[in-house]
Parts: sequence; C-alpha cells; structure tokens
Amino acid sequence: MGRYIGKRVLHVAWIMLAVSFLTFLLSYLSPGDAAMKKLNAQGVAVSEEVLEKTRESMGLNRSFLVQYGDWAWHALRFDLGTSYKDGFPVAEKLLKGLKNTAMLAVSSILLSLLVSLPFAFLCALKKDSWLDHLIRLFSFMGNSLPNFLISVLLVYFLCVRAKLLPVVANKSLSGLILPCLALSIPICSRFIRQFRAELLEQLGKPYVAGARARGVKSRYVLWNVLHNASISILTIIGLSVGTLLGGSVVIETIFRWPGLGKLAMDAITNRDYPVIQGFVLLSSLIYVTVNLITDVSYHLIDPRLREGEGE
Amino acid sequence: MKSIKRICKLLLITLALSCLVACAKDSKKDSEAGQAQGNNGQPKTMNMAVSFFYPSLDVHKDYYGWYTSIYGVSETLFRVADDLSIQPLLAKGYSVSTDGKTWSIELADAKFSNGAAVTADLVIRNFKRLAEVNERFAFLADFTYAADGDKTLKITTPDVYPTMLSDLTAPELGIMDLDGTTDFDNAPICTGPFVVKSFDPEGTIVVEKNAAYWNGNVKLDLVNIYYMQDDETKLNAMQAGDIDGYTSVTAAAKEIYAADPSTYTLTVIPATRLQFYVLNKTRLDDKVREAINLTVDCQAIAEYLGGTVSAAVGPFSASAPYGQVKKPAVDTAKAKALLEEDGYVLGSDGYYAKDGETLTLNVCYYAARSLDTIAVVMQDQFKSIGVKVTLTVQEDPDATYIASGDYDIALYCMIADKAGDPYYCVSALFRQDSKWALSGFANAKTEALINELQYETDVNKRAALANQIVQQSIDDNAFGYVGLFNKTTVTARGLSGIAEKCPFDFYGLTADTDKN
Repeated sequence: MGRYIGKRVLHVAWIMLAVSFLTFLLSYLSPGDAAMKKLNAQGVAVSEEVLEKTRESMGLNRSFLVQYGDWAWHALRFDLGTSYKDGFPVAEKLLKGLKNTAMLAVSSILLSLLVSLPFAFLCALKKDSWLDHLIRLFSFMGNSLPNFLISVLLVYFLCVRAKLLPVVANKSLSGLILPCLALSIPICSRFIRQFRAELLEQLGKPYVAGARARGVKSRYVLWNVLHNASISILTIIGLSVGTLLGGSVVIETIFRWPGLGKLAMDAITNRDYPVIQGFVLLSSLIYVTVNLITDVSYHLIDPRLREGEGE
Repeated sequence: MKSIKRICKLLLITLALSCLVACAKDSKKDSEAGQAQGNNGQPKTMNMAVSFFYPSLDVHKDYYGWYTSIYGVSETLFRVADDLSIQPLLAKGYSVSTDGKTWSIELADAKFSNGAAVTADLVIRNFKRLAEVNERFAFLADFTYAADGDKTLKITTPDVYPTMLSDLTAPELGIMDLDGTTDFDNAPICTGPFVVKSFDPEGTIVVEKNAAYWNGNVKLDLVNIYYMQDDETKLNAMQAGDIDGYTSVTAAAKEIYAADPSTYTLTVIPATRLQFYVLNKTRLDDKVREAINLTVDCQAIAEYLGGTVSAAVGPFSASAPYGQVKKPAVDTAKAKALLEEDGYVLGSDGYYAKDGETLTLNVCYYAARSLDTIAVVMQDQFKSIGVKVTLTVQEDPDATYIASGDYDIALYCMIADKAGDPYYCVSALFRQDSKWALSGFANAKTEALINELQYETDVNKRAALANQIVQQSIDDNAFGYVGLFNKTTVTARGLSGIAEKCPFDFYGLTADTDKN
C-alpha cells in the first residue's frame, strides 16, 4: 500500500508539470493580455505608451519560456506569485476561495448522500412500483434542469415569494442553504439513479437470495449489499467531490459565494495568468488527491484487493 | 425496509424544518442593523447593490477610487455636477496663469474623518503617490508642484493644460490622509461623508456616517453595500426588500419595476458610455459607407434594447456644448440608390452583387454591452436593403479585429465623456496613433484640429473644435454612433440621493442620501 501511494504521489508531480505547461501555453497563445484587461476595465481608453509600460512592469513582454520558467521556479518554492489584477498573493486568494468552495462542496455532498442513499434503497427495494417510478421521475427532472434555472427558481420561490430566506446572505449558515440546495438537487438526482442501479445489481446476486432464504434479518442483508456496492458508490462520490471542489461559477455568481469557480472565471476573463496557473495546479492536486483517497478506500473496503497486493 | 421508509420521512421533515428555522430572521444578523428608521433611535440604514467590486479600497490604485467615491468615502478637489459643469469640492477656487501652465488651487477648510486638516502639502503627496502606483496617472509625475501655505497649491505643467480641472475630477485623485491611514487597502482615511466600518474584499462593505464630516450633515447612519454581479439576483433582492436600490437595471427588470410605481422609483438618464461602430475605409468605398450609415436605424436599436440606451447622434450627449453635431436621417431608399450608383445590382436572392460577387459585410463585435444584440439588429436592417452581413464575434476585440484592422464594420463600446471635456474621446478615436487608425479615417487635417483642441483654453472654442472634428467623422462616413447607455437606477420609494441623476458611474453616496 505504501509503495502504491508513493508511486501515485510521484505521478502527481508529472501531472502538475504537464498541466501547468499546457495551461500557460494556451493562455499565452490566446488573444489579449492582462495589461489591456486591467487598464481598460471600466471602458476608459488608454494610450499605447501606458499599455507598453504596464506590459513591461508585469513582465508580459518576455518570451513564453522565460515567463513560464520564472513562474515554475517560484512555484517550486511554493510561491505562486501575485495577481496581475490586484497584486494580492495568489496563494491567499486560492486558499480563501478553496475554503468557501470546500464548505459548499462538503455540505452539498453530505446533503446529497443523506437524501439519495435512502431513496436509492427505496427505489431498489420497490423496483418498478409506483414509488420507484415517482422518485425516478423527480430525479430525472432534477438532473435535466440546468443549475442556473434551479438557483433562480429557488431564490424566487423561497426568498421573493415565501420570504423564508434572504436573497442577500453572507457566508453564514442561512447563506449556505440556497447554494447548497441548488448544487445538491442535480447531484442527488444523479446519485439516486446511479446508486439504484448499483444496489439492484447487488440485490440480484445469489448471496442476497441465500441470506434471505436462511432467514437473515433485512438490515444485515442490506448492510452487506451496501458494503458490496460501496466501491462503485465511492467512485461516483469521488468524481463528484473532485468536480465540486473545482467550484461552480454559476452558483457562486448567483449566490455571491466567493469560491474557486468564480475566482477562476474572473482570472480567465482578466487574463490573470498567475491566478489561472495557481488554480490549475490546485485543481489538479485536488483531483489527484481525491482519486488517490478513493483508490485507497477501495483497498480498505475490499479485502480481496488487499490479498492481491500481498501476493 | 420499514426503517428505510422511516429514514426517508425523517429526512424530508428535517429538510423542511431546517429551511424554516434558518429563515429571514437570520438575515438581520447579516446586515449590521435593521431597516428601522432614524427617528426610532435605531440607525438609519440603507442597503444597495453594486455590479463591480474590487479587493482593495486604496483610492489611488487601479480603478478602486471609483468605488470609494461611490461608497461616499473619498472626495476629489473638483466634482462634475449633473449638468456636466465642474464644481469645486475640496477646492474652493482656482486661477490659471496667463501662459496657461500654472494652476493655483485654493483649498476649502476640509477635514479628514479623523479630524486632520486637508493641506496643500498633503494633496501634493497624494498626487505624487498616485503617479507612482497607477500607470494611467503616471503623467502627473511630469508636473511641478508647490505648496503656498497650507491652503494653496500650485501645479505647473510643461505645456498648456486646458483640461486640468476636469482631470482633477477623476475619482482616482481622491485625497487620503497619507499619514493617518495605516491600512490603505481596507480602511483609508478620507474626507467623504462615510467611513469604512467593515470591508470584505469582493463581498460586502459596510460604511457608516462620518460624524466629523466637514461639509454638512450626513443623513444616513449606515449603508450596507453588496457585490452582486448577477442581474437576476439584484432583481430578486430588490423584490424581496433586501436592497433599496442599484444602477444598471436591465430592460427586463425595468419593466417589472415600472409596473409598480408605488414601490419603486426608476430614474433613467443618458450616461456617457458610447456604443459605436467604425467603418473600414480601406475596404469599403464612399458610397457603400454612406449607404451603411443611411441604413443603421439607431432609434430602432434603442427601442429594441428596451430603453437601456438612448439613440446617439455623436459620441457626446446632445445637451453638451460639444455634442452639437448632425447626421442624416435613416433613408433606406437613398441607401439602395447609392449602392446601385456604385454598380451593385439586386440579385434574385435579394442581395446586391457586383461583378458576380455578393456584397457581404463582415461585422465584428464582442459579446458585452449589448453589442451582440446590436450586431444582430444591424444584420437584419442591412438585409432589408439587400446587403448580406456575416457576424464575427471575438472575446478580446483589442487583440483581434481592432489590432489587425480585419473588419468591414467594427462594433465597440467605451466611456466617451470622462469628466465634461471632449478631448479624451476625440483623441482616443481619431488620432493617427489611435487604435482605430487602421480604419483609414485618421488624417493630417483632423490631427491638426485635435492638436489645436489639446491646447485650446477657451471652453467655447473647445466645444466648437470638438464639434468640427466629430462632424468630420460623420460626414466622411467613417464612424457611426449608435447609442449612449442610459444610467437606469431603481430605488425603493423614499430613497434619494444616490447620484441617480448624474451621468457618471463613479458617484454614489453623498451627505444628502436619504431614506424615508
């Protein structure tokens, strides 16, 4: 296990190098630059002289390799530089965004699991009943509606009409409810369908029929079913966590939640290369870490995989 | 099985309860104080939303001074009034030497929020700091400054500088107490009617009444300013009563507010952000360009945009002395006649062609400031006279079609009037080294007029020169001015004084802002 983790960690370094290089190259090749974006932010025209001076002070007139090399050298020493837009340290901005996004992501995943697992079980156990059809219909609807529409509907009905929640909510618990719901509804809908499929597959296996025939109590059977389906379930959760931790621009914009998604989008719009690079590195790290944790958990859950290692 | 059903029911109940429990009463904790009126002993509070937000309140950096001005925190020596005249604020008067190079500015008895006096020396240090930290104001370093006592400062420029007063209204020239301020990014000490109480970068800012305000009684006690980028969120917040006002109201939201005048007050005035197009003289001959300008119906475009813009004749407001230009009325029959005179023949497909080639115009634009909508409407208008249009959208116009000159018609949007003077816009559009020079309009005659404008000190002559230059661009069918964005502000009934009648984007809260 230790060797396996070690190998994966080494892979991370290569992945981050490749991703950062590719991103830097694509940003460099795309039209426009950070100097123009910064100076022209409010639609006020600037002279070519001012533009050139700003490009020089930002180092944008250097060649691609020099710029990338300079960035990479600092990044190796954990210095992600400062934002072109506002001069604030990139690491600070990313950490702040990550904290907010993590809060949202964790609460959305927890809520989704809390709701989807029981409903998935219900659907699996009552397969093809009216309850199964009804829950699947709602999950289909939840999955089909785009995030921004769900968000706007939630705000309209819960805040404007029913006045149950404020539209303007800071990073407090009440402020977390709406964005969490907006994110959880499609996730939950997807989970219900996917978990249902996994559970149905397990419920159809001979060990379940055998256990039931032997009079084993339902809760023990279901516990074992869940245990055996958990590898696939964990994979699905892992993928969702990785995506959520990258941030959701739409949700964060509508609900004024200053997370990573919004930070990344603003950085791309403003050609803020240091922030883009930092975000890409962080996202790669998050994805790889989440995948590693998921893979390690397989070994913990499935003893056959541990035995395979031993051999 | 039964336990799973029980779990599901429990979940549903928990979900419903948690929504009810974390209800609107919590929101009172989010704003600093309730919405109660001042006469109940509660702080008089207002909530507003802004579309842009910056991570710092340093008045001199970047465009942050626009926002400290909107928040009522910083003030400048002079200010542009609603009628575009320059009015003294931290200054109380000025004089200029006969050679036009030395400006003497007398300061008012203004004080910072910490009680320190505004002195000439401090103003000079502010200007020097601005020149160091803001590239757009690096030119201030070319001036020579001197303090004549505490209340008079002299600015000597290398050349005649007729736009000094209007340049001094720029919000980036807001005056800070450089000695008293310890945290420029989060709590600058300025002279405005409000002081920063709390600041969450790119989140919420709370400002409170400057008890030591030097220029009158501040009516509001507290203002919560929320950063809301999304238009739907602003609309919902307004309808829910979470905010009391905001600007940049969309056309759709405007209809909703207009339908309920007892709750909302809408104020619509033409502002200074211009939508225009440039015709490429190197690709389009005179008759084609004239036909284009006779076809584009700016009034129809303004109506299509739901009142968010006012149809423009020139780049400036028609009420400004330098906005007195004329352009021919829409005449599609004449446009067609011009094309036919130029050798174009209307084909069976409904489009004009010459020598077997269909007349196709490449309209380049970027998807912001309603330019994408304008491009589509223009395409439709050209189709009605038999001219085909292909639309090319670019994310960054400056780096693509403007830089390369690869367009027939280029759409763009910019602030045309920074502070009540035409030189900036004229120089940015028509100079031989401007980014539009590739369109082929820039010429020696216009350049000479712009040079004359640059040093002309008489205000009336400046206006006349600007009118002459802009008229040339219209008569030459080189530019077309589509619309000036309206500044549309919505306020809850009883709220007034958030610069809703001022065409500039960088004014907001004042001592007179009030909520009844």
